[in-house]
Amino acid sequence: MKLLKSFFSFSLPLVVMLFMFSIYLIVTKVVNNYKENIINDYAIVIITNTPFSSIDSLAGIKVKDIEPLSREKIIKNVQQNLSDTSISLLQKKLPYFYKIYLAEFPTTLKLEKIRKELMTISNIKKIETFSNDHNKLYSLLILVQNIIFILFGAVLLLSILLLSKQIKIWFFEHNERISIIQLHGGSLLYSSKPIIKVILGSAFFSSILASSMLVVVISNIHMIIEPEIMSLIPTVLSMEMEIMKIFVLSVIIPSITFFGLLVKYKLK
Amino acid sequence: MILAKNLTLSYDKRKNIIENANFLIKEREFIFISGSSGSGKSTLLKSFYGDLSINNGNLFVNKHDLTKKDDSKLLSLRKDLGIVFQDYKLIQDYTIEENIMLPLKVHNYADDVSRAQVKKLLKHVKLSHKIGAYPAELSGGEQQRVAVARALAHNPSVILADEPTGNLDDYSSDMIWTLLKNANEHLGITIVVVTHRIPTDLGIKYRRFNIEEGVVYEAS
Repeated sequence: MKLLKSFFSFSLPLVVMLFMFSIYLIVTKVVNNYKENIINDYAIVIITNTPFSSIDSLAGIKVKDIEPLSREKIIKNVQQNLSDTSISLLQKKLPYFYKIYLAEFPTTLKLEKIRKELMTISNIKKIETFSNDHNKLYSLLILVQNIIFILFGAVLLLSILLLSKQIKIWFFEHNERISIIQLHGGSLLYSSKPIIKVILGSAFFSSILASSMLVVVISNIHMIIEPEIMSLIPTVLSMEMEIMKIFVLSVIIPSITFFGLLVKYKLK
Repeated sequence: MILAKNLTLSYDKRKNIIENANFLIKEREFIFISGSSGSGKSTLLKSFYGDLSINNGNLFVNKHDLTKKDDSKLLSLRKDLGIVFQDYKLIQDYTIEENIMLPLKVHNYADDVSRAQVKKLLKHVKLSHKIGAYPAELSGGEQQRVAVARALAHNPSVILADEPTGNLDDYSSDMIWTLLKNANEHLGITIVVVTHRIPTDLGIKYRRFNIEEGVVYEAS
């Protein structure tokens, strides 16, 4: 009974923390998928006086490709209503058009930085970032992701506090047993074997529970997420990596808390 | 072997409990440490198993230098000792078998070897029928016999006993003295017992140290 009580006392903060972490992973996954989808459609258009030489990065974001827009095509689109003289003049005066593809979708702040960086290049006449097209939804998703990350941080801190309290209570309750084992040559780590087993058991149990929740949520994601965003998410989201992260976190957090307290206990 | 050179012990450095003690306890000896209540008998014994830091002087127990406190050395020293306390110090949620097995587990004995050793010891202390019982189900005398069995489990070279018969009736006390005497006579274990009641008919050669106002001296 006592063991079961200890087991659930350790599991509860861990489960709450891992649930929060799972939610963060889901949102991150959705945001990343959305980013990957929109980045394929998104490009910055620049107009230059002379042919443009290549650039590697803009505002710290790698430039994936610079695609020149065919001048002939542009002229062809407008030549119907123009005289031959005007066409020949247009051919001489028409600037160069380029589409810049980025490796990742920029935030509003980075977009502004990119604009400023491009403006420093002397032969660029005009820049069109099409910032309003995707930015509202993207910014909203980033905001949600950040809020969930902050919440996760708070829950993580609270869980560590609760775990350390539980470990302290265990040490207090088993103080006599620990001292008897130490009198017979057992180390503090040896005498803490039962609590280590409880911690690892709770970590395993919590990670299974949190992973199951993640699987259920991902499988029914169409019921939770708005259709507008849903259309941008691949139908099958891979979860192996996320489940691995949950398991690693479920073991690392209580282990660090335990060994931290053990060091503190030993120093005392 | 226990060697003390100008050994001084105190709890708070204001008043010395033991002052400038000099003595040598050789292998296979049976030693009593006696004195009035509060004279420092248990304090001296505590220093033998490293539960009390040394203020001054030197103390060697089985070649372990206890002058400077070192946790890793302390654990290896305690693996060499068997300790018996007045209040038995058995782990209440361990069975008798698990309690006796404790030093064997600490020494990484194989499970089957440990179980065989526990069976042998329980037979020796006449408690074979209590192997699966918990300490609370045993009388004081029986618990102390379990404590002696636990102290003997890993064949230590020294057994330190702090008032081992302090809580026991005459019958149980006699049994404990017999067990300690046999351990000394037949297994060659050095026995150091703190007591204010030395048995009159132990039937074994022993030395007695007395403590009076912090001074340790050999009594005739």
